[in-house]
Amino acid sequence: MRATPDQRLTKKALKVWRITASLEMILYLLLAVGYGLASRYFNFSSWVLLPIIIFIITLGYVKIAVIPELQWKRWRYKIYENEVELLYGVFVVRRVIIPMIRVQHVDTKQGPILRRYRLAAVTISTAATVHEIPGLEEKTADELRDYIAGLAREADPDD
Amino acid sequence: MNCGIISPGWRGKLIRMTSWRRQHYAAIFISFLNNIKELLLTMLIVFVFGQSSQVGGAMFYTFFYGSILLFSLGSGVIKWLTFQYRLEADELKIKQGFLFKKNRFIRKERIQSIDVNAKMLQRMFRLVELRIETAGGGGEPEFRIVALKQEEAALIKKELLSKDRVPDKGQVTESVSQDDSMTAAYPDEVQKSAHERKFRWELSNRRLVIAALTSSGVGLAVTFAAAATSQLQQLIPEAVYEEIIGWLQHSSFVYIGIVVAFVLFISWVMALINTMLKYGQFTIVKNGDEIHLSRGILEKRQLTLSQKRITAVRIVQNLLRQPFGYVSVYVESACGGRKEEDLSTILIPLCKRGEITELLGEIVPEYAVKRQYAPLPSKSIRKYMIKLIVPAVVSATVIAYFLPYGSWALILPVLAASYGYWQYRDAGIGHTEGILLLKYRTLSRCEVVVPRKRIQAMQSSQTFLQRINDLHTIHVSVMTSIAGKTFTLKHIDRMQQEQQFHWYSYEEKRKE
Repeated sequence: MRATPDQRLTKKALKVWRITASLEMILYLLLAVGYGLASRYFNFSSWVLLPIIIFIITLGYVKIAVIPELQWKRWRYKIYENEVELLYGVFVVRRVIIPMIRVQHVDTKQGPILRRYRLAAVTISTAATVHEIPGLEEKTADELRDYIAGLAREADPDD
Repeated sequence: MNCGIISPGWRGKLIRMTSWRRQHYAAIFISFLNNIKELLLTMLIVFVFGQSSQVGGAMFYTFFYGSILLFSLGSGVIKWLTFQYRLEADELKIKQGFLFKKNRFIRKERIQSIDVNAKMLQRMFRLVELRIETAGGGGEPEFRIVALKQEEAALIKKELLSKDRVPDKGQVTESVSQDDSMTAAYPDEVQKSAHERKFRWELSNRRLVIAALTSSGVGLAVTFAAAATSQLQQLIPEAVYEEIIGWLQHSSFVYIGIVVAFVLFISWVMALINTMLKYGQFTIVKNGDEIHLSRGILEKRQLTLSQKRITAVRIVQNLLRQPFGYVSVYVESACGGRKEEDLSTILIPLCKRGEITELLGEIVPEYAVKRQYAPLPSKSIRKYMIKLIVPAVVSATVIAYFLPYGSWALILPVLAASYGYWQYRDAGIGHTEGILLLKYRTLSRCEVVVPRKRIQAMQSSQTFLQRINDLHTIHVSVMTSIAGKTFTLKHIDRMQQEQQFHWYSYEEKRKE
């Protein structure tokens, strides 16, 4: 049986995921508050507001406190000489093999929040698919990108 | 600047297209009609809804349709005026656009395939359309010259496909056969490789009829016919219409059943004719590495595929064909897929199941393997069944509660269960040294043959519910003309999943 990949994401990724989820929840809350304000001036019924807010808070708890933790615990990757293996997913667990000879290009990317924490994601593209390793230290991500790109270049095309 | 129209006596003369040229005049007419075709839906909607609402009146209609015609014509003329192309030593240059100018240089090495199509419109002018496909990436992988003479198309095709050093200027002479039949599009290729082994396959007329009778386009046609019937109201005089409605209201379910059956029958006949026109004279010519497909009665279509670029073969058997043992075969190719065919190209419209291996052996030998499958574990039976039973029970309950005779709907869950079992029975997985085989049923039964070296990535996934039974889903992705395509087989057991990963893994293969 295949060994489970052993590399984890950086613990800081967890923090970033929580921030992203919080921002999303704040947006929903603002919408709910907006509705509440509007219902004062117009003739909207305001009783729906309470269930909506309760729903948003529950959802927020799950998305901020529970899911990122599970997601981080699950995420593993490993770069072998001839292939990359990923293992991730909370509700649906996915395991992917990407052979080095199929890798077309490797990029690092960074949104504003990732940049703030000096993190980056690595994306690996084949002719048919794109895969992402989110939440690595900037330095690790750069090294990983160059390392995978190097292995992909060297891979034997006759295989 | 040469204004594009080839002088009448150009046949057999020295030609080297070093000047910019325009398409044939007919391009204006063709793009005019294409514009109209695209706007047809809008026009229909205005026609249908315009009648019921009170806005406008006759003035509005005249203005509306008038401006559509004018716009279509104008845009056709502008397109023709601004579109110019020029064949150079090893590239085709194209400039187009009125407000937004676009220059495109298509280099020879980047070209994947060139088709010469004689569609109905083009045939009226004895012209052809040239369609060039370039290697992926970028927004528009394909490119068309809508109207040009057949000889010119053949010349461009030959020039751009020739692999050797480009000869000196003026040396290229082209003597085109006077034969006007479409086979003339490849005269040199036929000669060049006459000594190579060639394979030719044609769809017999008998099979064309069977293919049409069992085509699954029927469903589409039914939808269309139903939509058309609902518009009849606009065309039939009101008195007649009201009479019909009255008659319908007073008549029993039987009469309505007859009407429905009639609509179904008409649409079936339409689908029949459509398929026959589309796949009539279907011919495969295998020539060295190239596979030439041509088909169509009114609209001739030709497509050249490279055997090396085929990434997967699919063998599809729809419900109607199953009892007779007929199947159709599709290929996924890194170029040449058509939108209308679900991004796959049809390779064999109809053949007997037993003939597949032999035919594939001639056309794409790599894929001609013995197809043996291992069944899925018995614990996945209930996965397949429950997935269909749940929605069936829900809808049956609703129907039984609200509709007269609704209790008949309780038969639905039973049907769903049997169908789920059938799906389980038809699912399977297998592999040989270098080929992965997947078999599954959605509505049609589908077999997928993918070589290991064509698989871009292999993924296995496990949902929350699958975890309870330790079942997995496997996904394999291959390259196609647009992006990628992923084939999926649900509910295999862990052993099978591990076996497949082991088979695919480049790391483990290396160690052995």
